[in-house]
Amino acid sequence: MAGPLHARLADRLLSGRGDQGFGPRPNTPAEPEPTALAVIALDDEAGRTWLRNAQRPDGSLTLPRGVVMNDSPTSLAAIALGPGPAQDRAAQYLEHHLAITTASSTAIPLRGPSHGWAWVDGTFGWVEPTSRAVLALRLARRTSPALDDGIAVLTERQCEQGGWNYGNRTVWGTDLEPYVQTTAMGLLALQGPAAPDTAAAALSVLERQWEQEPGALSLALSLTALELHGRADPHRDRIVARLSAEFDETSFFDDTVATAWAAIATGDRWEQLQVTS
Amino acid sequence: MTGETVKRMDRRTFLVRSATAGLGVGLVATIGFNSQKSPARRWDQRAFAPPSRSSRVAVLRATSYDADLVGPLTDAIRDSRVDPRGKSVLLKPNLVEYDAGSAINTDPRLVAATVLAFRRLGARSVMVGEGPGHRRDTAYVVRQSGLWDALKAVEVPFTDLNTETLVETKLHSSYTQLGTLWLPRPVVESDIVVSMPKMKTHHWAGVTLSLKNCFGCVPGRVYGWPKNVLHLHGIENSILDVSAAVRPDLAIIDGIVGMEGDGPIKGSAKAAGLLVVSTDPVAADATAARLMGFDPERIAYLAEAGRFLGQVHLDEITQAGEDLERSATVFRTLPAFDNLHVGAQRRSKTTQSGSA
Repeated sequence: MAGPLHARLADRLLSGRGDQGFGPRPNTPAEPEPTALAVIALDDEAGRTWLRNAQRPDGSLTLPRGVVMNDSPTSLAAIALGPGPAQDRAAQYLEHHLAITTASSTAIPLRGPSHGWAWVDGTFGWVEPTSRAVLALRLARRTSPALDDGIAVLTERQCEQGGWNYGNRTVWGTDLEPYVQTTAMGLLALQGPAAPDTAAAALSVLERQWEQEPGALSLALSLTALELHGRADPHRDRIVARLSAEFDETSFFDDTVATAWAAIATGDRWEQLQVTS
Repeated sequence: MTGETVKRMDRRTFLVRSATAGLGVGLVATIGFNSQKSPARRWDQRAFAPPSRSSRVAVLRATSYDADLVGPLTDAIRDSRVDPRGKSVLLKPNLVEYDAGSAINTDPRLVAATVLAFRRLGARSVMVGEGPGHRRDTAYVVRQSGLWDALKAVEVPFTDLNTETLVETKLHSSYTQLGTLWLPRPVVESDIVVSMPKMKTHHWAGVTLSLKNCFGCVPGRVYGWPKNVLHLHGIENSILDVSAAVRPDLAIIDGIVGMEGDGPIKGSAKAAGLLVVSTDPVAADATAARLMGFDPERIAYLAEAGRFLGQVHLDEITQAGEDLERSATVFRTLPAFDNLHVGAQRRSKTTQSGSA
């Protein structure tokens, strides 16, 4: 069932590539994040070359826009580049570019001093970029000392019931609920023995909640996370059916990132994200 | 370039020139402002006409989303002197999160009615766009909120502003140190941009109305989910710079059912039974704030916006429609914002930054 959808998604990605890389929508100029995900989804060598050429001397892959330096694509690019000097430079950049921290406050009580990773260089850490960086380091540099910090962030910021909101767990005394998309992303990072209690709570959230948040990106990440945790069997067919219906109805709003994640989930490329001990 | 020249220039010409040439405004380095002491100007006078001394705001009674909204909206848009004939229109609702039974988002029925009103008035094209700031999965929010079905029924396209092609836009105000913003092409190139917020309290800024709604024009793929880089520059500073860059041509505020308390997401539904319409977004927000029981001149970013973006003073706003005093209904806030209410004791303001 997943095979035909995967083929359609792969066609969609390939037919919309701008040059060597992939843009945020079909036929738009290439950017690092959609390119990295499409490379992972398709094992695409031309896209990998684009990433190598786009890598900065410090190892990062960024979307620089004026003074705003979004360096969050570096983690996905590190995965997409595969083993080698380019991946090493990207991993080294991640190790040395943790997010800034803030003091705990009444409004936002924090449970620890950990940093995590940010979307934009010089800002606070959030669940999605932290999860991606942890995953990248676990795949590319498994003994990195930065991993302890990233895993601590995910443990400290999990919601009361498990899983993750975008990054905070409590604001002004109100507990925030977990989102499917960020919970699935966190689970990509916490495969295996990294933080088993945190992962178990998040898995429980994901398994009971994915059907309530049936956007393409959430569905695709849910399936990827469930595959990586060996829990996909009871869910796979229904998730694929929902993804297929969404693709028919909305074309995933032309979002290359959602399309690539769905291609990863519905083919066998999710195995490239598997952390082995 | 003088303010009067800018006033006569349509917004697309203004923004496209900002995108390509800029007006050479210098940055003021300090972050933060004190509206009580009228500090130095942080905007380029050549780029902003002085606020009108007779901004017109219409307050419409509308107690249900199922009532005929197209007729009253058509009249209100016509009376606002926006002329959409032959023009492209972008509607920018507030779409943040989905929570069944809550009042987080601009109601899809109001958005659809606005589409029909603009068509009735001769718009060449209408599209709806939003770049949600919390939820990266835009499709989820658009589908679950009912917006997708509402837009399908009136055959109007939706665009995710988080993935749109971007245009570098020079800032002509300098409350942040960003210098430029990268805005989605439809925001820059549409002839008419309509900010359509929900009437809500906000747990960092006091209220969120048509100026704050402009945050959704700033793409997450550059600024993140949440747009923490804006919060780090001070949420009020960012509201001023972003709204000054977007410059909505029209505000339509959804106060049929708003939100009080811990807005913009965790508050409670509050029926105000009103729509607020104006070509002056500051005057629209100031009027909406008054209808919520707040003194807009105590809301720091609104008071500051009243110095260059639009009119905040009650005696310089020409109000049409419902009576302001009789229509007002007090919106509860978090205790930190109680001092914004009319008649409350003033106290020093603290600004939170670093979160969403």
